[in-house]
Amino acid sequence: MNVATLVEKRRAQWAELEMLCDGTGSPEATARFAALYRAACADLALASAYQLPPGTVTYLHRLVGRAHSRLYRSHRFDPMTWFDVIFVTAPRQIFADPCVRIATLLFFALFSLSAYLAYNETAFPDYAQDIVGTAALEQMEASFEPGLNGNLSHYIGMAGFYIKHNTSIGLQCFAYGILLIPCVFILCYNAVALGASFGYMIREDTPGGETFLEFVTAHGPFELTAIALSAGAGLRLGMGLFRTEGRTRIASLKANAVQAVPIMVAAAILFFLAAFTEGFISPSPLYYPFKAGWAILSSGLLMFYFVVLGFPRQEPS
Amino acid sequence: MADAAPLDTTIKVVTPENIAFEYQLAGPFRRLPAYVLDVFVYSAALAVVVMVGLYLGFLTGSVLALSVYGFLGLLVWFVLGWFYGALCETYFNGRTIGKWICGLRVISVDGRPLSGMQATIRNLLRVADLAPPAALGQFDSEIAPVMAVPTALIGLLSVILTPRMQRLGDLAAGTMVVVDEKSWRLPVAKVDDLRVAALATYVPGDYRVTPTMARTLAAYAERRAYLTPARRREVARHLTDPLVDRFEFRPDIDPDLLMYALYYQTFLAADNAAPPDLGALAAFSPLRKDMDRPVAEPPAAAPPVAQATPMASAANPEHSAASPEQLAARPEQGDVR
Repeated sequence: MNVATLVEKRRAQWAELEMLCDGTGSPEATARFAALYRAACADLALASAYQLPPGTVTYLHRLVGRAHSRLYRSHRFDPMTWFDVIFVTAPRQIFADPCVRIATLLFFALFSLSAYLAYNETAFPDYAQDIVGTAALEQMEASFEPGLNGNLSHYIGMAGFYIKHNTSIGLQCFAYGILLIPCVFILCYNAVALGASFGYMIREDTPGGETFLEFVTAHGPFELTAIALSAGAGLRLGMGLFRTEGRTRIASLKANAVQAVPIMVAAAILFFLAAFTEGFISPSPLYYPFKAGWAILSSGLLMFYFVVLGFPRQEPS
Repeated sequence: MADAAPLDTTIKVVTPENIAFEYQLAGPFRRLPAYVLDVFVYSAALAVVVMVGLYLGFLTGSVLALSVYGFLGLLVWFVLGWFYGALCETYFNGRTIGKWICGLRVISVDGRPLSGMQATIRNLLRVADLAPPAALGQFDSEIAPVMAVPTALIGLLSVILTPRMQRLGDLAAGTMVVVDEKSWRLPVAKVDDLRVAALATYVPGDYRVTPTMARTLAAYAERRAYLTPARRREVARHLTDPLVDRFEFRPDIDPDLLMYALYYQTFLAADNAAPPDLGALAAFSPLRKDMDRPVAEPPAAAPPVAQATPMASAANPEHSAASPEQLAARPEQGDVR
């Protein structure tokens, strides 16, 4: 049998497979798809034995490629695995990960240092103005001076804004982690700027200081932890390029990325929680002990999440 | 990839059926339009959300409804901005709308479709690939540096330097972008030139075409339509000169025609078919020993001589009895389809 007849004979089946690649058909068609796909695979495998012309071989490569990606579909997001990722994988990863510890230490150390420098007006009179800027400080004073009041529609809008803005910063910090330096920079910048604002506002003579404290109490634990966590996830990603532990650089990067994602998922959830708190609880004229209670409760939840859920344990198998 | 692999943009994938098939990788200039299209698509979706919001605002005048709508709008903005690619690639099997239009697809480096996790990683890390951002007005102090325009230099460098053309997000997720075009053609060259079949009957029966030669012949038959007759002869001569000696053909035989005859013999001629009806050509022989034999005059009713003689005409017109016009008048047959 010559090649032209062979191609002519097989062509009808290839055309049928091509058609089935385009859409889902009846169960019979789907069952036929597998048979046709195997036949096309066999044709491709025997292409050199049949001496098929290169054009036909190229065609077969494309056909098999398309049918292959049609047959083996991607694994979609499974809500059951989400639960596992959030409540099992993420806390253990966070508990065990040195990158998270480093990022958290760096963040809170810089935050405290910056807050102290900004607070201590006698020793460092111009620090807060140099870091945050005079205009921004005056704006903060002006916005907190009148005290906390608002209405529901304002709260809802602000909650949306905080979700978008703060979570974006966290995700950006995580993504830049693969380049390491931008991630560390974002982390340090946020620590220093937040610390400076904080230190400045808690000086005794700053107008609106009381209101500021009342405002930040409720969402502080969630938000500050979330920033540190997203930087930790980013660092984990970037460290994969350097600490390969015997793998190839790219294999190490891939493994670290898979480890980093659950941390980032946890961070994103914390950002969401912080945004809702900051939108609804923080600006409301609620009784202050309630806000403080919320802060304590959220810190307790975080402790439970990190330590109790995260504590390394033997898998019962 | 192995060192011996050719410098090419194709990548071999071995399937569970134990078949190795090839994908063509997509370079930065195929991927950029797809990304720009995606940006347009989700910007348009956001614009629709904003328009509907404005309309609702005018319609109801309720501040609360508007703020709830604003909240949802911001949420949509956030989700589209960060997860548009991941969601599309997960649910449309490795394609976003832009990639679908540009004929691209994301797959795992092992050839399997990508998972939701991989899609998330590669799309979250796009920010790092688009770095460093350049602010508009960076070079002009008059303009405030407000808009940060991504330069994507990091991603471009990474695509250039990796063998699978992966950006950093692809490296971390273990994915690659391949060309997934739908338009295919199935080229089987048709030969309807009578002289080819006639010449093919003179190829000795003990001559077996090697697989390499078969590939070369098929490639030649596919591409000869794009070459001028003189160029065809020039290309074909390298292969046919030894064959002319071996087959003891006359040296002035047209190399292009001989190649085509071999192609016909290899791919198209049926094993048990009756010898083709040569008609007026039956009197000709390409063999060297028949060179001195006087060419029999074709019957008066035969097809035009100009059609029949070029088989024996030479590559060099001065050695041949055929005139250059006859060479030029050779009909373009056997087009690649």
